[in-house]
Amino acid sequence: MSAPAISWRRSRPWALPVVGLAVGLAFLWPYLVMLLDAFRPSEDVVQTPPSLLPRVWKWSTFGEVLGDERFLAWLKTSLLVSVASTAIVVLVAVPAAYATARFRFPGRMAFLFVVLVTQMFSPTSLVVGIYREFFSLNLVNTYLALILTNAAFNLAFAIWILHGFFSSIPVELEEAAELDGCGRFATLRRVMLPLTLPGLVTATVFTFIAAWNEYVVALTLMLDDTKKPLTVGINSYVTGYEQNWDQLFGASIIAIVPVVILFAVIERHLVGGLTAGSVK
Amino acid sequence: MTRRSRAWRVAAVGLGASIALAGCSGGSGAGSAGGNSSSGSASGPTTIKLVAAEYSKDHTKAFWDKFATDYKAKTGNTLQVQIVSWDDIDQQSSTMVQNNNPPDILNLNAYASYAKDNLLYSSDDVLSASVKSDLLPAFVKSGSYQGKMYGMPDLSSARAMFYNKTLFTKAGIAAPPKTWAEFEADAKKITALGGGDIGYGLPLGPEEAQGEFSIWLFNNGGDWKTDGKWTINSPQNVETLTFLKSLATQKLTQNNPGKTNRQDAFDLFASGKVGMVVGFSPLAGTLDKAGKVDYGVAPMPTKADGGTPQTFGVTDYLMAFKKPGNQAAVKAFYDLYYQPDQVNTFIKAEGFLPVTTTGIAAFASDPKLKTYLDTLPNAHLTPTDDPTWDKVKLAVQQNLGTAMTGDPKAVLDKLQQSAENGG
Amino acid sequence: MTGATGKPAAPVGARPRGRRRATVRGRGAISPLAALVWLAPALLLIVGVVLWPAVELVRASRSRYSITGLRKGPAGWDNFRNVLANDSLGTVLTNTVIWVIAVVALTIAISLGVAQFLTKDFWGRRFVRWAVIVPWAASLVITARLFTLIYSYYYGSINAVLLDLHLITTPIDFLGSDKLIMPSMIAVGVFVSIPFTAYVFVAGLGAIPTEVHEAARIDGGSPWQIWRHITLPLLRPAILVASVMNMIYVFNSFPIVYTLNESNPGFSHDTTITFMYKLAFKSAEKDVGQSAAAGLFNVVIILVAVLVYLRVTRWRDQEEQ
Repeated sequence: MSAPAISWRRSRPWALPVVGLAVGLAFLWPYLVMLLDAFRPSEDVVQTPPSLLPRVWKWSTFGEVLGDERFLAWLKTSLLVSVASTAIVVLVAVPAAYATARFRFPGRMAFLFVVLVTQMFSPTSLVVGIYREFFSLNLVNTYLALILTNAAFNLAFAIWILHGFFSSIPVELEEAAELDGCGRFATLRRVMLPLTLPGLVTATVFTFIAAWNEYVVALTLMLDDTKKPLTVGINSYVTGYEQNWDQLFGASIIAIVPVVILFAVIERHLVGGLTAGSVK
Repeated sequence: MTRRSRAWRVAAVGLGASIALAGCSGGSGAGSAGGNSSSGSASGPTTIKLVAAEYSKDHTKAFWDKFATDYKAKTGNTLQVQIVSWDDIDQQSSTMVQNNNPPDILNLNAYASYAKDNLLYSSDDVLSASVKSDLLPAFVKSGSYQGKMYGMPDLSSARAMFYNKTLFTKAGIAAPPKTWAEFEADAKKITALGGGDIGYGLPLGPEEAQGEFSIWLFNNGGDWKTDGKWTINSPQNVETLTFLKSLATQKLTQNNPGKTNRQDAFDLFASGKVGMVVGFSPLAGTLDKAGKVDYGVAPMPTKADGGTPQTFGVTDYLMAFKKPGNQAAVKAFYDLYYQPDQVNTFIKAEGFLPVTTTGIAAFASDPKLKTYLDTLPNAHLTPTDDPTWDKVKLAVQQNLGTAMTGDPKAVLDKLQQSAENGG
Repeated sequence: MTGATGKPAAPVGARPRGRRRATVRGRGAISPLAALVWLAPALLLIVGVVLWPAVELVRASRSRYSITGLRKGPAGWDNFRNVLANDSLGTVLTNTVIWVIAVVALTIAISLGVAQFLTKDFWGRRFVRWAVIVPWAASLVITARLFTLIYSYYYGSINAVLLDLHLITTPIDFLGSDKLIMPSMIAVGVFVSIPFTAYVFVAGLGAIPTEVHEAARIDGGSPWQIWRHITLPLLRPAILVASVMNMIYVFNSFPIVYTLNESNPGFSHDTTITFMYKLAFKSAEKDVGQSAAAGLFNVVIILVAVLVYLRVTRWRDQEEQ
């Protein structure tokens, strides 16, 4: 990695970790507030004057939330939908991005353009049409409808990012692989994909998070309480008549965990780096 | 097999499994038998769909799920329940109606526009006489459009003046105010206590500005409509709004009342910082649970000396959409819902007020509800029986708060004009 | 790759310069039918899930609806006319321009710094990387609600801290003040956009081989010069992707603007997307047809904006090299 002025770093080894701590806190502080709010009774969250630390500590929130079968059902739905959507996006975007990066064919730019334009429709404006469509296909209230929708909405970003990565890989690498006897598909798999790993990882994380946090379409399509994902389900904790801020925030914290886990597992591939010299 | 290709295989299998699982979970839609349109003949078992608003996490779904079981046991029909949060139910119901796919029964806070669009059953079609006669007349009237009842009430609430006994004692106020003049004086005394104490919590933000304004204008002899004509900018109403504005100008209220929603005002009261606020039974429930504020409930002060306090009442509705084949099942729904052990159980769990005469008797044993129950049959409601009100209400919500820093008469004139133009 | 010619290797998106320009781009031409095989699944999803509802949107914009959502008949161009005639339209458009430009510009600028930092090697880097992901990992709806509490006049953490530190004597009305609401919204918008953008840049930075920087340093450049003249241009494709995507997402971003404005009546601080929603469900118009018309205007606006942006940054030229 680029690390200018190594001697400076050696003389003050604590400098970067301290900056790192500051940066980390800068991104975490609202969620630390949220965490503290999960540990206090709901009334204390909206008490005037406010106090940063809970006046009364309530430790049972996470237990309550995790023991709530409605919550667990929502969690399962979110996991199912997000994993499936992400898988579809990757499987579909890779061939499309490869083709537009590598081949010339009539309609290539048009395709990229269409892909970009579809990204510009806000799901909020499309939701009625989506409902009508899935209603006529008899798919309202199914996981499949939500999975397909999430996949379709995130395709554009995945195609674009992968397109960029594929374009940047020198053609010679592929030609070399083919000289070695790989077919087109095998070339794609064995040569291209490892080199575009950072792009794949970005697309995976991006789609997973987008699907995990999607709200408007899930709200409209999923009628059964057990089929609601977390984003829709946890609305139940705070209504106009009864507020359970502690549980709302406790549930939200739990909802962040799977995403962070996914990220922790694959983030080191984010900076794979091109293998320079592979053609020499 | 390389590690990478193995990974791909695993992904493919996982994906296939997810899709299979997803597809098999039984969709609903145009073609499915048990789907959104009711199926079956009038004599066989039918499936109907209820879209219910979520009042609370712990009680709403629990009640309707149990109700569906009882309903099935009693009638053999299936009730599909969809619970939607109040924030989203407008959007959800609009989406369904746009797709010509409304539920059989919808729980909403308005009905007249739907009746006007000829989408609903009237009580003649789906309410048995014994049930209808049990409903409180005030609610029957407010649920009737052009002489026919379409909006069946699910529960009701009534507002009253909540006051903080501790702050009152501290400020030397002996009893809750009976007139506006006393009220203003009391608010001044409490604000003068200092330390961030607020005289009156005034929520005129977009969430329910019409509610707050209603209770004040009713107690000045005004109304939204009089004798079938809109009287939004009547002199009494202008006087009321000017009075509220003066409270804000004199800093007797919390910060920025034109941009405060009801719940924020309640939270301030629950923090013990506010002397008076207009509240209802869910607030009482919250206060009792926290047990921190020593509060009392009193009738609203009137403008005139010796006036009769007016109670502002609100009901939400359970309306039934006309769909082929569902009439009998819908009727059976209402028959069951208005059984005392059903409707009153629901109302009690959610902490609201009854809608039936038998309900009033059933709740009479609770001393905390006495203030409300006595005045409930004469509760004053907003003109929900007029479809134009559905639009006017929204206009009020979006514009009333601006009167706090603007001209009350101009705001009301504009609202009057839009109401006269049909909303 | 660098050894033979001494020139830097091609990173994300950029085309190799110099000798390479003369050679064939990519793998050559293929027939449309063959192309279809590669593109079919993507096309199917996009047409099915996005274009079909888009057609519905167009149909809705040309229909007249009752307040309940019932379609009453055709409306010609009335809905479009009514939207354009709306008193608040000017305010809403101005708000949207400020919102998008401020959030995207600030996000890109800050993310470049964050990304650079995240690629440095130091103890605890992993945890910082995880921390940066959290605003993105959390649902936007929840983050918006959280900030409504944090910004609150009476029980917000920010006011609590500022009062405790005696920096202010009365709380600041972040959400209620007409002057402060937009900066407050922008702050949250930037906050939730940085993680994704930073990681796009991290991926972009990772695609730059270390030899590039080694060579530049050997040539005697200062860290700032290296960054400005070598790294930044090589990041150009990543910046392009990030800015276009951010423009679109920020423009279409609903929860932040809607939730932070929950207590504010009227449309005075709405962007076009919340305006569109309120037209359908919360405003006195409560008109689904007008909302659909506004939705189409939104698509046109962002499309034009993105095209102009791409033109200005000469994306096409870069693609065709």
